[in-house]
Amino acid sequence: MRELMIGNYAIARGLVEAKVEIAAAYPGTPSSEILPGIIEFAKRENLDVHCEWSVNEKVAFEAAFGAALYGKKAACMMKQVGLNVAFPSFFESLEREIRGGLLLVSCDDPGPLSSQTEQDTRMVCSLLGVTVLDPSSPSEAADCAYYGLLLSKKLGKPVVLRPTHRVSHSREAVRLYHLGKRKVRLKEGLVGKGSFKGFGIVASGTSYSVVMDVLSELGLKRDIPVFKVIKVHPLNDKVFQFRDSLERVIVFEETDAVIEARLNLKGKVYGRLNGILPDAGELSYDIIRKAVIEMCHLSGLKVKYEEEREVDEVLGKIHLPLRPPKLCSGCPHRATFYAMKRACPDAIFPGDIGCYTLGISLGAVDVFVDMGGSVNLASGFDSVFKKEGRDIPILASVGDSTFFHACLPEIYDAARKKRKFVLVIMDNNITAMTGMQPTPQTGLTADGKRTNSISLEATLSALGVKNVKVVDPYEIPTLVETIKNSLSNFEAEDGPFVIIARRECLLHKKKKWERDIELDEICTGCKRCLKDFDCPSMEFDEDKKRIRINRDLCVGCGCCLFVCPQFSKTKKKVE
Amino acid sequence: MRKRFSMEILCAGIGGRGVLLASTLLLDSAIRKGIYGIGSDEYGMSQRGGSVVSLVKVGDVKSPLIGKGKADVILGFEESEFLRNLSYAKRGGIGIVNTPKKALNSTLQDLLEKRGVSLYLLDADDIARREGLYQASNMAVLGFFSSLGIEPFTFENLRDSICDRLKGKMLEKNLKIFEKGFEKGRERRG
Ligand code: SF4
Ligand code: SF4
Ligand code: SF4
Repeated sequence: MRELMIGNYAIARGLVEAKVEIAAAYPGTPSSEILPGIIEFAKRENLDVHCEWSVNEKVAFEAAFGAALYGKKAACMMKQVGLNVAFPSFFESLEREIRGGLLLVSCDDPGPLSSQTEQDTRMVCSLLGVTVLDPSSPSEAADCAYYGLLLSKKLGKPVVLRPTHRVSHSREAVRLYHLGKRKVRLKEGLVGKGSFKGFGIVASGTSYSVVMDVLSELGLKRDIPVFKVIKVHPLNDKVFQFRDSLERVIVFEETDAVIEARLNLKGKVYGRLNGILPDAGELSYDIIRKAVIEMCHLSGLKVKYEEEREVDEVLGKIHLPLRPPKLCSGCPHRATFYAMKRACPDAIFPGDIGCYTLGISLGAVDVFVDMGGSVNLASGFDSVFKKEGRDIPILASVGDSTFFHACLPEIYDAARKKRKFVLVIMDNNITAMTGMQPTPQTGLTADGKRTNSISLEATLSALGVKNVKVVDPYEIPTLVETIKNSLSNFEAEDGPFVIIARRECLLHKKKKWERDIELDEICTGCKRCLKDFDCPSMEFDEDKKRIRINRDLCVGCGCCLFVCPQFSKTKKKVE
Repeated sequence: MRKRFSMEILCAGIGGRGVLLASTLLLDSAIRKGIYGIGSDEYGMSQRGGSVVSLVKVGDVKSPLIGKGKADVILGFEESEFLRNLSYAKRGGIGIVNTPKKALNSTLQDLLEKRGVSLYLLDADDIARREGLYQASNMAVLGFFSSLGIEPFTFENLRDSICDRLKGKMLEKNLKIFEKGFEKGRERRG
């Protein structure tokens, strides 16, 4: 039987069929759907799997590793930058003999599409000598997950599965097997019967699949020899023979030159290192097609293809508005950012990782590095400003899930050192960015059961933060006042000041108020709301030169009323 | 030997407004007929109202990615997102775009004609709004597409996929919008 599913569910399926016993993860795009997938398949197959969202990747890894040491089959899921958080324990785990099995799934994000950096998990694994698998499709990912977990048990060492987002989020009909009965068909090595000697292709992951489609398009399938790699480490010896039997070889892989670096021979091996491919980023269809054609030219093989630019040329003359992602209509974060900027436009604004990284476009995030960076950056700025005797207000922001993930030692450290900054915790009681996973405060387990809820206020107080205020971000004037007061009260108080801006994520609640926001009538077309607030429901009617509220999108939160100067004027008149 | 067959569809729209559902339905329809299919969706940040592209490929294909000049069909769930991706349309391909306009930019329209691309304009938002479910305008575009009768994306097939994926009131409304789109397509082509 086959079932249509995304790659992350296919991985979950492979793990359940391999009878995984423990699964721990921290959500992060593109990895977040694997754990829910395991929960679903385990339920369907009546398999008892312990599944948990851990508070961060190190916790997830160690929980899984502990179980594997004891003799269980464990899996642990995260995104590539999450592996950085788990790195100390990952490194250490390689020195130990495990009695069970441990598959670490670390999802890479070539591009990157939803991460701060690209990073290539395969690179780390190759350097450390860890077995790492690089599947080219959802079906192959299911096989790799199954095979990888069993292999780990056999080796007594962790094994790593590295899908890219194009595998994790591709959809394909994946074959289902009974538990323990998956027929793994992982075929590495020479594909097809290409006999051309001028050049050959080595490829892995999604790039392999794209290469095959490109060769079909160009009618080269019978000519060009292709070597497919799935196990990037340890690398199949035959790939070296393949290289040596040809005049030239080009390597297509994502994201770094890992296989290429191993094969590298000057003047013979082409890829990211010698400039025929870009040295970073996703390998799109167009990039691969262009490189294959270039290799044909280099090797004297005729290929029929004409690049067409007509459409792009005409489009170049038409103005297409850029459409960057935005916070949802009525998102409480937008109100918070607006209040922060309004309260103190001259502050420096360290931000963090989540939906609210989008605060950049509202001018309320100046700088961010990684999960938890907001608090540390604020601390760093504080010590420099103190030293130089400068009085620059510091107004940092972070979400509740990220706060629990990466800010606990940080805020304690700041409290102990009496840092002078205001931290706004945008508390929507959920991990919104990655698809609504519970936070420690939500009080729910991964499979939706009730559990202890950890209070944010109690945590802050235990960590030595003396001043904590809770405000509803929709009350924009109150929030502005609270921020102003805390920034000016520092002389009297000691340590960082925390404001919890608390309101549920709108996308999660799916809430809509039945109220009509009438800005259209009073609008003078000053565009202030567009510049300072940028709600997706506000459109500018160029003919009438005024705002038009898109009633299909507007949730009626009323926050824009605080932003529009016309509204406060007319309201006062009425009163 | 069976003749090589493949069909590449690019769905362009705005994140969080059902592009993912539309592409899944297309894939479903292929699989329902025993045809291989693979699709690629964008998740994460772009789901927050940014430009998104979902790719669907069926038949003798391996990867979910589409190159410029390769898409047989471009479904534009929003006009500027449609235009942004136009260079992916192949000569002789099909473009369907959700717009209240009666015509696109004339240079562009001439160029598409020269390249043999059949262009269809459809006010899908209007259809969806009349049914009280603005967010489901994609269904009207799918309905219109199904009226072209291209296997495996026929009316019956896509309708069955919708019935499998949705439930209750949502199903009712989505089906209605899908059917309206289909009718519009039939009228248009006489
Ligand atoms: S998902 Fe929630 S937190 Fe994220 S932008 Fe939308 S409303 Fe805001
Ligand atoms: S701020 Fe008020 S007056 Fe100015 S454009 Fe927006 S709605 Fe109109
Ligand atoms: S009430 Fe104003 S701010 Fe809230 S969703 Fe509607 S337009 Fe946007």
